[in-house]
Amino acid sequence: MKEGFRQSMAWLHRWAGLLVGWVLFAVFLTGTAAYLRPEISYWMRPELALSRPGPADAEVAVRAMQAMAPNSPSWFINLPDERDTTLRVFWREPGARGRGFREAVLDPATGRTVEARETLGGEFFYRFHFQLHYVGVLWGRWIVSICAMFMLVAIVSGIITHRRIFADFFTFRPGKGQRSWLDGHNICAVLALPYHLMITYTGLVLFMLMVMPWGIDRAYPGGRAAFNAEAFGSAPPRPRAGNAAPLSPVLPLVQEAERRWGGGRVGRIVVANPGDANATIQLVRADSERISYNPQSLTFDGPTGALIQDSGEGHPVAEVRGWMYGLHIGRFAGPLLRALFILSGLAGTAMVATGCVLWATKTRQQAARQGRVGFGTHLLEHLNVATIAGLPLAMAAFFWANRLLPAGMPQRADWEVHVFFATWGLCLIHPLFRRGRQAWIEQFAIGALAFALLPLLNVLVTQRHLLATLSEGDHVRAGFDLGLLGCALMLGALAWKVARHRPAPASSRVPSSIPRPGRSVEAAR
Amino acid sequence: MIGFGASLAYAGFVAMCLAMERHHEQVFRTRAVPPRRRRLLSVLGWLLLVASVLAMVSASGWGLGLVLWAGILTATAIPLSILLTYAPRMALMLAAAPLPAGLALLLSVP
Repeated sequence: MKEGFRQSMAWLHRWAGLLVGWVLFAVFLTGTAAYLRPEISYWMRPELALSRPGPADAEVAVRAMQAMAPNSPSWFINLPDERDTTLRVFWREPGARGRGFREAVLDPATGRTVEARETLGGEFFYRFHFQLHYVGVLWGRWIVSICAMFMLVAIVSGIITHRRIFADFFTFRPGKGQRSWLDGHNICAVLALPYHLMITYTGLVLFMLMVMPWGIDRAYPGGRAAFNAEAFGSAPPRPRAGNAAPLSPVLPLVQEAERRWGGGRVGRIVVANPGDANATIQLVRADSERISYNPQSLTFDGPTGALIQDSGEGHPVAEVRGWMYGLHIGRFAGPLLRALFILSGLAGTAMVATGCVLWATKTRQQAARQGRVGFGTHLLEHLNVATIAGLPLAMAAFFWANRLLPAGMPQRADWEVHVFFATWGLCLIHPLFRRGRQAWIEQFAIGALAFALLPLLNVLVTQRHLLATLSEGDHVRAGFDLGLLGCALMLGALAWKVARHRPAPASSRVPSSIPRPGRSVEAAR
Repeated sequence: MIGFGASLAYAGFVAMCLAMERHHEQVFRTRAVPPRRRRLLSVLGWLLLVASVLAMVSASGWGLGLVLWAGILTATAIPLSILLTYAPRMALMLAAAPLPAGLALLLSVP
């Protein structure tokens, strides 16, 4: 090897980051938003009233399902909790649109369906961050998985390349052009490093069965069901018996489960073959209670209510995976830890963004030295604007569409997503007409405006505006509106910062404290 | 207890910073740190960080405590690096936070 180890790692870091940087930015930002999935979904359905979880919710839901979907092969009932106060039910219905599922939101008091606008809510950001959109689900997952592998390579090579990782641990030097960007990149990367490593690695673990299925396929030639039963202790499905039998009351089962889990809460109820003699009722423990995502569950016989299976902690190896899964999705996290996760997620987003910007600045300087700015440089800068400034704007547009599209519109939920991508598409076209800094400023400023006006729009088109939610004690909606204003402030600050920025003279590009030519490669990383 | 742990982590980071010439200069306007003080400060920094782990673990157990601690490290170090640049004196003053936080903790224990 002609070059040193560190130089070759710098090369690897640059290219690993560059090739997938834009996808990673989107994954990081929407993934961070996904920590607020229930809150976003709740905010996006202003028809839902504030309700408090009660002990009779399970019974109400089962009775409602018996009336609504008596012939469905399976029901899924999500019981409300402090974060997601809605009683949501899904059921399989042969012939339904999409994957054959239908869903409804129930009023916990009466069991009647609540008519809420059709929307994907926070589910959209959550799904987008691991399977994208418009491409097939599997394609999306493969793309994101490959990008995550590049991310892991970029993180490890970045650590190796960063020679002054301890000396520059807390260092931020503003107003020094590229040096400041590098400092910012390093701070976002190093100070949240445990999070970045954790989230990238565990993200890959979530898809390990998809990316590397060979071991399991070889050991379990009969199919995944045998593997799942052994690894996760899930009860094998029972076939339909064909003769009818009434379902036993669910409330005693819930109490039994809570007793067995030492006061742990039931989060989900899965009923298979309801009304059949072979029906089963599975009670799954709420995923907010343990770090590990391997759900503890109890399976009861439907007609008699006798316990069939108690899936506990599972095999240690499965439990390790459960821990990683749980750490990644962070559903165990209380408000404080969730806030910390969001902070680290934003640091990751900023890390990717500063990395992309650094690369573009560096390319432009090289181009300027050669005397002509080529297509590649323009493309880099163009995509940076469209991704980094465009995505937040598109997210704001998604919320606007949620408020403004007519409630009865056919395929309304899809159209919200179309508006999101159309806005993002416009952000991709916009820099063609507004070169350089102007494009950055305008997209950030419009994004800030779009976020700032959302709470105002709420006053005009919904009953759940800030004044109402604050006086009602609806903290989730009130907090969300305030969060939107926070996003507006952040984007506004960015727009202001870019607008005020005066490009440093070319000579101060690399500070004189780094005299050796060998180092300039690293300094410009 | 979690607030106390966070203030300990912050104070630990400040001590480590003061053991480094660049940050010593930001706070005290002089670059030279006497070698003995440097060693003392970095040992103190590490001790405070260890104490903050212990506080977190005693508050929330090993699993959750360590996850929380990692998050707290990020949430204290990023503001510190920004404060060092824009308000170095403030960065130093906030390092005294374990005192009121610890006092509040003592008073809240019945």
